[in-house]
Amino acid sequence: MPDLSSFSLAGKVVVQCGGTGLLGRALVSGLAAAGATLVVASRNRAALAALADAEQAAGRTVLIEETDIGSEDSLRGLRDRLLIAHGRIDGLVFNAVSRPMRAFGDDLSAWESSMATNATGFFATARVFGDAMAARGSGSIVNIASMQGMIGPNFWLYEGTSMTAAPDYFFHKGGMINFTRYLAAHYGPRGVRANVVSPGGIFNPEKPQAPAFLERYGKTTLLGRMAEAREIGGAVVFLLSDASTYVTGANLPVDGGYTAK
Amino acid sequence: MTSWHSLGDKTIWVTGGAGYLGSAITEELDRQQAVTLCLDLPGKAEALVRQKNLTHTIPLALDVNDADGLPAAIDRLVAEHGVPDGVVHLTYASSAGKRLEELSKDDFQKTFDQALPSTFVFCRALAERMKARGSGSIVLFSSMYGVVAPDPRVYLPPLTPNPIDYGASKAAILQMSRYFAVHYGPAGVRFNCITPGPFPNPGVQQSQPAFVQALAGKTALQRIGHNREIVGPALFLLTDSASFVTGHNLVVDGGWTAW
Repeated sequence: MPDLSSFSLAGKVVVQCGGTGLLGRALVSGLAAAGATLVVASRNRAALAALADAEQAAGRTVLIEETDIGSEDSLRGLRDRLLIAHGRIDGLVFNAVSRPMRAFGDDLSAWESSMATNATGFFATARVFGDAMAARGSGSIVNIASMQGMIGPNFWLYEGTSMTAAPDYFFHKGGMINFTRYLAAHYGPRGVRANVVSPGGIFNPEKPQAPAFLERYGKTTLLGRMAEAREIGGAVVFLLSDASTYVTGANLPVDGGYTAK
Repeated sequence: MTSWHSLGDKTIWVTGGAGYLGSAITEELDRQQAVTLCLDLPGKAEALVRQKNLTHTIPLALDVNDADGLPAAIDRLVAEHGVPDGVVHLTYASSAGKRLEELSKDDFQKTFDQALPSTFVFCRALAERMKARGSGSIVLFSSMYGVVAPDPRVYLPPLTPNPIDYGASKAAILQMSRYFAVHYGPAGVRFNCITPGPFPNPGVQQSQPAFVQALAGKTALQRIGHNREIVGPALFLLTDSASFVTGHNLVVDGGWTAW
C-alpha cells in the first residue's frame, strides 16, 4: 500500500521537461532530494551536462536526456528509452518554456515560434507520457504554469525598469491551466492524475530584478516578497507523491497570496 | 528530505480530530511525532487515543461551536500547551438536515450561527497569538458543496440533496480563509483551505452502495476518496513545504470540480 502521507518520491521514475533555468534547476534539486529517479529532458546539451555535474557535486544523481519537445519522434524516443531502462514512468513535470516574445508589437513569427513550443510541444509531451502512464494505470502529471495564466499583467510593477510582461506567456499559461483539467478528465479513469502549479514571481539571486520592481512587487504579495525558487518544489513534490492521490484537476498557486486578494 | 516537512518538534491542533477525516490526520501527526492536540466532543478524542495507541496526542474536549466560550477555552489551552505551530480546523459540518422546501428561516440562521461566528473567533484568537510570534499555519475545511451545488441526480430517493445551509456556510468558510490570509500574511501567518470532494464515511459506504457509485461517477478518477487521502494535503499546507502558499483553496476531490 502506498504511503499516503509521505512526500517521498523514492522508487518513482519522473521525467522533467525543462530543467536548466532558475526554476528548473531548483525543481531538479527538490525532486532528486525527494528520492525520485529523475530524468531531465532538455534541448540544451551543454546546460544538461552542467546540471548533472552540479547535482553530482551536491551528492544527488540525475539522468539527462537531450530531447526536442518540438518533435514527436524525439519525445517517443525518450519514452521508449525510459521504458526499456526503467520499465515504468510515474511522473511528468512539464516545466519547459520558450520565451521568444518580448513586446506586444513583436512580429507574428515570434508568437508562432512561442506556440510551437508552449502549445504544440506541451500537448505532444503530455500525450506521449500521459498515454505511457495510462497504459500502466497510474501516474501523475504536474504542469508548471504561472499566476500570469490566471490574471492579467500589472504594468505598474514594471514602470521605470527594462522588464515587461510578454503577451504570449499569458495566453499559453492560461491555456495550460484549463488544458490540465482536460488531462485530468481524460486520464482520470485510467489512474493518471493531472494538476498544475502556478508560481508567482521568482527572485533571481544571480541576477536580481530591478530594485524598484522588487519593492513594488513585494507589496502586492501577502508575504511581502518574491518566491524563492526552492519554494515551488514542495508543491511539485506533493503533487507527484502518493500524498496527493485524490487531488486531480487542481491548480495550486505558489504565489505568496498574490491571487488570493 | 525530512527537514522539508518535519513535524517532529511542532505543536499541531486538530479540531474535529477524532472524526472520519480528522482521525486520519491526527493519527499521522502522531506518527510524525508532532505534539498533537486532538480536540473533539467529550470522550471522542480519548477513545481515538486509546483505540489507536497514540503516544504524542493529547485528547481534549472542546466545543468549537461555542463562540462565547472559545476565547477563555483557547486561553487555557495556550497557557497549558503553548501557541500551536499549526492548526487544522475541521469545522463541524453543520446543517439543519432539512429539505429546502421545509427549511425555516430560523433553521437557516441557526446553521450560520453555529458555524461562522465560532470559526471567526477561533481563527482570530489563534492567529493573533501566532502573529506575536511571527509564524503559523492554519488550515480550514470547506467542501465541494461550498464551491458547486449538489447534482440532484446523485441523490436518488429517499436521499435528498446536500442541504443549502451546509453549502452556504461552507462557502463562507472558504472566503473567510482568504480574508484571514490577506489580513495575517504580513505577520507571517498563513491561512489556506482544503475543499474535500466525496469522502463518505464507512457507514455510508456500507449502507448506500448505489449512492457511493453515483458519487464516484462524478469524479475524474471514478472513485470516492478515502480518509487517508486527506492527510497529505493537510500536512503539505501545515509544513514549510508550503511556505509560499497562502490564501489558497486546495481542492481534494478526485477531479469533481475540474469538469
